[in-house]
Amino acid sequence: MAMTRSISTPVVTGTHKAERAGERRTGVLLLTPAFVLMNLVGFFPMIYSLYISLTNYNPTHGGASQFIGLKNYANALLDPQFWHAIGLTCVFVTLSVTSSLVLAVLLSLLFNLRYPGFFLLRTIILVPMLITPIAVGIVWRVMMMPDLGVLNYLLTVLGFQPQLWTSSASTALLSIVLVDIWQWTPFMFLIVFAGISSLPRSPFEAAAIDGAGPIRVFFSVTLPLLRPVIVIATLLRIVDAFRTYDTAFIMTRGGPDFSTDLVSVYLQRINFRFFDLGYGSALSWVTLLIVTAIILIFTKLSGFTRIISEKESR
Amino acid sequence: MSMKRPAIRRYSQISLAYFLALFATTFFAFPIFWMVTASLKSDQAITAYPPVWVFTPSLQNYAKLITDIGIAKMFINSVVIVGLSTSLAMVCGTLGAYALARFDIKGKQMIAFEILSIRMLPPIVSVVPMFILARWLGIFDTYWLLTAAYALSGLPFVVWVMRVFIQDIPQSIEEAALIDGCSRLETFWRVTLPLLLPGLAATMVIVFMFAWNEFLLASMLTSNAAKTLPVIAANTLSAKSIAWGLASAAGVVMSLPVVILVLLMQRYLVRGLTLGAVKG
Repeated sequence: MAMTRSISTPVVTGTHKAERAGERRTGVLLLTPAFVLMNLVGFFPMIYSLYISLTNYNPTHGGASQFIGLKNYANALLDPQFWHAIGLTCVFVTLSVTSSLVLAVLLSLLFNLRYPGFFLLRTIILVPMLITPIAVGIVWRVMMMPDLGVLNYLLTVLGFQPQLWTSSASTALLSIVLVDIWQWTPFMFLIVFAGISSLPRSPFEAAAIDGAGPIRVFFSVTLPLLRPVIVIATLLRIVDAFRTYDTAFIMTRGGPDFSTDLVSVYLQRINFRFFDLGYGSALSWVTLLIVTAIILIFTKLSGFTRIISEKESR
Repeated sequence: MSMKRPAIRRYSQISLAYFLALFATTFFAFPIFWMVTASLKSDQAITAYPPVWVFTPSLQNYAKLITDIGIAKMFINSVVIVGLSTSLAMVCGTLGAYALARFDIKGKQMIAFEILSIRMLPPIVSVVPMFILARWLGIFDTYWLLTAAYALSGLPFVVWVMRVFIQDIPQSIEEAALIDGCSRLETFWRVTLPLLLPGLAATMVIVFMFAWNEFLLASMLTSNAAKTLPVIAANTLSAKSIAWGLASAAGVVMSLPVVILVLLMQRYLVRGLTLGAVKG
């Protein structure tokens, strides 16, 4: 690994100052396309969005927009519909991410037995994460039809009560959580399984010599060793779960009775149904701040930064 | 007797493991099975109760996709937009990754994290300014707009994953070429790039997948001419009468390319999806 260290200041070239400067110029040149793309398409629109959020811009009203200072932000803080959406999204993310994490760990332990045929089954389990989310929403809507759907048929056959699924305000959010778990547990499983397969053998041998039972081994050896992998998978999943839109849009459009009005669905309504773009931009900035804060708290608590910097210094 | 008991135990343990594994696989595979069969059924058969398990498959829904919906055009739109954006992200990102991995640049750690922050950006935030700017620039509902947007969202993947792949190549190989009198760029082109091909292919598939499946930006930043597959699939449901068979067929057409591509690249999937942080 000492090799990689010497890379940044190549041994062969770079002995003279002029050469070092030329070297640096090439490096900057190579970064330029990425830099242009990032600023032109990424950060410039964001800054523009910050400006819009300080106006009452609405293209359907005609006329010029006015600068109204922080009024949109003040309104955002007092918008019960918005905070309802934020709350729902937090519930959605918590339920979905924790369930798929637990499932993924259990599946990884199971499939790590590596019996004949398990490789094929594992590959099949990966498929849901590859399906276009819009297609996922479509097929689950078909399966969840209350009177004609195959899910209620199976429940009845097995002797359970049929459910209203997305047609009732009390079960709609859970139905969407179920779909999210179905689609993204494979993602977590893929990563956690890769983590389990690359664990060193010696801690397990030591635990076996000490006579530790399987549950003890799991909690004091497997889980701590898996921590970095679990943290990375969870972080990526949290980031993506907060922006869930497609399945909610296809399956419920936020209904019934706003019970699945996730924040991205609400923002879409403000921006592209009412075209209240000034207010909508302010709301999206508040959302961005909240999500960033949650992610920062998670990275702090989970030691994510330490994991990444350990990887970097290797 | 005492010899037999562990054998029985082991036998029941194995059967339990197989039972659980099959149960889990059924849970994850069933909706896909249901989508594929629904796409081959008539609308009456899809909404039949109790559900129809045995039926004569028909390709009628797929035929209708072509004749009634004109899906060929959306398919071409998707291929062009996703192809262009993926190539753009790959070129910009790989060059940047090479600079970050092998050159002595001030503040390169910060640059890397800035690029990573794009991965965190929710599209619902950037869609409004893009919508306004695109109308102003006259590129709304064109290939250019979505191409730029998807190239941007692919960029952090390419930079972070390719950086790890480049770091995996021993520096000594490049140094040998440098001693032989190649320039830095020649070395990159002739020595490093060929070694990077598997990594490049894997990263490309992941960037392709995210752009191909993207719906929110596609639905807000196009109206007709540049519509992509997810948008048209969603539209089959918003019509007054819901065409389940048609929607399912659209779902299959959309998902198939990604499923095939990614399963071919399975080996590198973990590394790509975790932006290089976890080795698969």
